[in-house]
Amino acid sequence: MISAHRLTKTYGARTAVDAIDFTVEPGRVTGFLGPNGAGKSTTMRMVLGLDRPTSGTVTVNGRRYVDSPAPLREVGALLEARALHPGRSARDHLRWLAVSNGIPSRRVGEVLELVGLTSVAGQRVGRFSLGMGQRLGIAAALLGDPPVVVLDEPVNGLDPEGIRWVRTLARDLAAEGRTVFVSSHLMSEMALTADHLVVIGRGRVLADCSTAEFVAEHAASHVRVRSPQQDRVVTLLRDAGLDVAAHGGELRVQGPDAATVGELVGSAGLLLHELTLVRSSLEDAFMTLTADSVEYAGASR
Amino acid sequence: MTMGTHAWTRTDLPARPARTATLRAEWVKFWTVRSTPWSFAAVFVLGAGLTTLICALVAEDLARGEVGEPAGAFLTWGLLLAQVAAVVLGALTVTSEYGTGMIRATLTATPRRGAVLVAKAVVLASTLFVAGTLTAVAGYLGGNWFLEREGVGMALTDDGVLRALVGSGLYLAGLGLFAAGVGLLVRHTAAVVSIVLGLVFVVGTMVGLLPGAWGEWAAKLMPGNAGSGIAAVESFNPLLLDPWTGFAVFLAEVAVVLALGAVAFTRRDA
Repeated sequence: MISAHRLTKTYGARTAVDAIDFTVEPGRVTGFLGPNGAGKSTTMRMVLGLDRPTSGTVTVNGRRYVDSPAPLREVGALLEARALHPGRSARDHLRWLAVSNGIPSRRVGEVLELVGLTSVAGQRVGRFSLGMGQRLGIAAALLGDPPVVVLDEPVNGLDPEGIRWVRTLARDLAAEGRTVFVSSHLMSEMALTADHLVVIGRGRVLADCSTAEFVAEHAASHVRVRSPQQDRVVTLLRDAGLDVAAHGGELRVQGPDAATVGELVGSAGLLLHELTLVRSSLEDAFMTLTADSVEYAGASR
Repeated sequence: MTMGTHAWTRTDLPARPARTATLRAEWVKFWTVRSTPWSFAAVFVLGAGLTTLICALVAEDLARGEVGEPAGAFLTWGLLLAQVAAVVLGALTVTSEYGTGMIRATLTATPRRGAVLVAKAVVLASTLFVAGTLTAVAGYLGGNWFLEREGVGMALTDDGVLRALVGSGLYLAGLGLFAAGVGLLVRHTAAVVSIVLGLVFVVGTMVGLLPGAWGEWAAKLMPGNAGSGIAAVESFNPLLLDPWTGFAVFLAEVAVVLALGAVAFTRRDA
């Protein structure tokens, strides 16, 4: 479990993280979502003791990260920017990490196998593609078999197959009961991966709820209806107290699900050509929510 | 794909790794980048090779008494250039971590920054001491062979010879630490190497041009001048401090730079 309490980081006059509170619970994937520059990486660096909070606290399993005797066995982390020496081989990189935390050396082979880098383990990591680098970072995160896993933008630079792999891995880790905290600036990716969302913008928490709640609350939906007897359908639905708007040959019905609309129309013996539930995309919802907090918005927006 | 199926409710403290874990991790890191063996190769080739070469070149003139310098001044002469490699190695120990982002991996693995610093210093100083001493011994054996042929060689038991051989190791170890300390403050390889070599080679010579006692003492106290005396059997420059006095001054300077570096390292964000 990760708990932040009034966590704050300022750089001179700029406040990167502004007194945020959140809790990351075990057994589920918590998505940490925000536009670039929202304070995600700064927050994650404070979780890991790399940056010192200006005020407030953040703890992992009730302790500050820096107080852990063997932190890699408590928290596995993939940091956004590469944290590797390009001249060292993948195996050697994992080897020194294992030695530093008293992790048995057999784990090195196990995590290399897990991320699919066994065949290139002897190569210098400077030759690795972005995706291979991300896989090595994930191998390093899992080296200590930690109960808490922190992944900062893990799908950056991955191909679709790699993205699916990370998504499955994150969900598997959570299913084992681990605490999984994944940051991303891609709402669509988080919608598929995360059970719970912490959304931040300009250093403040904008939403902290389950992904389902977030979708229900922020993603507007309507039912699209097409009928050769449009006028009669409009009258019927309006009589049933529904909010109906006609857009050319289609009707947009706010509120109920498609089944309710279909049953109403069917029981009146009217014809339907189309009945579809239309959601505005999550990306739109995310944009709407964070619109005010985007640091570098294009002038046209 | 063995992930295990633990119930991950573990919140107890993991076992503390052995006390030597940080040191061993730094040891693995040190030897798994190519710059390390290259730097030591440079120390050895420059140090032992150039000592042997200069002795071979001056042996005849020394025997005829035409050099105007004592024979002992040449027996560790190659160290003058070998110290460049020691400075580069010392700088890289710190700056390569900042340059590549490695420092974030290092500090997530070992958040106790003091422990990281001590481990780095021990690995760097101990390896440079061994390399510097072996290089000086090899240079002495090679160079003295040419001096012996002309009858001007020196025995190991002669005054200052053993002290200079071990002193070569001590001086390189100290200089490497000095560069590492500057690295903690500046965090940039080229800048650190320029600053330290500039201090040793350029500023160390130039301050001697200052007028009077000022210039004399500034020259005595510059790190390269104060520290390198211990590595020479006899000095070219009679104005410098005694070998051990000079080395004590040098160690104090190294300690100050390292202390400032340590404060920066523990206070700043990684």
